[in-house]
Amino acid sequence: MEAEEHEIELADKEAFSDEFKCCVCLELLYKPVVLACGHISCFWCVYNAMNSWHESNCPVCRNPYNHFPSICHLLHFLLKKLYPLTYEKRERQVAEEEKQLGHFSPQVGYNLFGSPTNKEVDILGKSLDSPSQQQIKLYSESRFSGEGKSSPCMKSLEMTAESGDDAMLKLVTSSECSEATANSTAQECGLVGNDLEHKAENWVSVDDLSCAACKKMLFKPVVLNCGHVFCELCLFVPEDGNFKCPNCQSLQPYGLPSVCLIIEHFLEERFSDLYAERKEALLKQTSGATQARHRKNRSASFPKLVYASLWLGNGPKIHFGVGCDYCGMSPIIGERYKCKDCVESIGFDLCEACHNNPAKVPGRFNQQHKPEHKFEIMQPTSLSDLINRINSDMSDDEGSDATENRDGVARTGDLSGDVPEDPENDTNDLEDASSCFLPVDASLDPQDDSDERSSDFP
Amino acid sequence: MIDFSRVQKELQECSKDIEASGIKVTPVSDNLVHLTGIIPGPVGTPYEGGTFRLDITLPDGYPFEPPKMHFVTKVWHPNISSQSGAICLDILKDQWSPALTLKTALLSVQALLSAPAPDDPQDAVVAQQYLKDHQTFLSTARYWTESFAKTSSLGVEEKVQKLVEMGFPESQVRSTLEIVGGDENMALEKLLSS
Repeated sequence: MEAEEHEIELADKEAFSDEFKCCVCLELLYKPVVLACGHISCFWCVYNAMNSWHESNCPVCRNPYNHFPSICHLLHFLLKKLYPLTYEKRERQVAEEEKQLGHFSPQVGYNLFGSPTNKEVDILGKSLDSPSQQQIKLYSESRFSGEGKSSPCMKSLEMTAESGDDAMLKLVTSSECSEATANSTAQECGLVGNDLEHKAENWVSVDDLSCAACKKMLFKPVVLNCGHVFCELCLFVPEDGNFKCPNCQSLQPYGLPSVCLIIEHFLEERFSDLYAERKEALLKQTSGATQARHRKNRSASFPKLVYASLWLGNGPKIHFGVGCDYCGMSPIIGERYKCKDCVESIGFDLCEACHNNPAKVPGRFNQQHKPEHKFEIMQPTSLSDLINRINSDMSDDEGSDATENRDGVARTGDLSGDVPEDPENDTNDLEDASSCFLPVDASLDPQDDSDERSSDFP
Repeated sequence: MIDFSRVQKELQECSKDIEASGIKVTPVSDNLVHLTGIIPGPVGTPYEGGTFRLDITLPDGYPFEPPKMHFVTKVWHPNISSQSGAICLDILKDQWSPALTLKTALLSVQALLSAPAPDDPQDAVVAQQYLKDHQTFLSTARYWTESFAKTSSLGVEEKVQKLVEMGFPESQVRSTLEIVGGDENMALEKLLSS
């Protein structure tokens, strides 16, 4: 245990740049997700900040979006290299939270960009002993399944949790068995800690920050909905709006995302000469026209009005509180396909487009979905069911109601949950359990046009 | 569940530049659910020179739900209830974002003091006065700042003695003074109402 405490202590000393601090949890970004506006948060922070009833807004700039982007692998590995101890600490922290929650974030098992993971393995292996070795095994296994393209099956997270436990156990036993070993581990950790800044400099190479298309160092990096990173100029948005990721061919819900300024700034600082070089070369190559071509207006892909159709009874189906596990659309608009065979409590759902065009990625919450699984079409929860649910929640005993609804999972933006969550979670002022129905309605969609609601409400 | 580690971080951050911002956040109890915020009245407004105390309660969903804040110090302002201290500010309601913190929210409240929005009033009486009789509004606001937002020069012991002389039990006086942050007027009000 001593060694672990020591590690945590060291991790606290490992100062990280404020740029990589998550604006929501105020900790080092963990499993970073980049929104279309270029702002970054942790996977769970984005998930928790999302709204399951209508479009969500970026916590920083309030840019509306309705797709939960995938984790940005490039950034994940960058942070892991830059701040290995803090990242480890966060990993443990989040794993613990996930275990309590019963829902899991996707495993980032392999490096899509072929960065030298071996180096990382070496250093981690040396400094952290058994736990990291466990992880390394896990990484290589999942990398295998990823490369084999056999199925989107990744290492089950439950397994991770278990192996994590094992690792902890090992650590405990090793430190208990021989204090000397524990001490030496700690010493090594100390070395790593002191040498950290220096080593991090060496670790991060241009290879870690290269564009998936041109293979050169990123210039004006944009992160797509699928988490892949490209130079802004390497992407081309076709006129018909069918903009796909050149790497994974997944359809992009918006036009070109904004440049991720945090990654750009990092590049400018760390590789200033190279970045300036790239800039000059590209300026010569490209004319203003090419630049303009990319400057497409980005907007939420569905007008706000769509979300009112629950009350209007016309328009497309909206599955409140349910998100697509491939493209991240939340709530799902249109048909909803629910997997009948996935056992995870969070469920597995796809929107129509993703059902017709299955991608090869694991579920948003690491569900072990297999291609042979069967789907069924689900109808959105009807208005009367919603009212019933709201009413029954309200008539519930206050105490139990509170604990149930305030539970982390049941909060907002449940991408795959079956039933829409209690709207109370999304309201700001609704406290009075005895309040009549109308205030609930009003609170469901505060951004809606109020005239519409009052006139068309059945 | 409230993200307590985040609240802890917020408190640390806030105490770092207390000198620059003048904004203070302190926990009332150990559990970090109930806090007190202090903002200085902005310069160039009728609130200048005053120190305003706010009661902050964090909902279970914090930081994904806005903190509940209201003024403890009485304020004469179109967007703050002169009775209850309730604040009409969008970021404390539907415009809340988890990227905001207690400090930034308090800064916004401070900005609200400098820039009232009488068209979206919380206190209709004050708003009416603000629009129709601005001079009276200014002098009332100033008077309220003088009377309620300026800490009296008396020391704690003197305050305690004064209140004890009025017939309140000493232990209750001490605890009440602590709750309201040493303001004898507020303590008296609280003692009378309890």
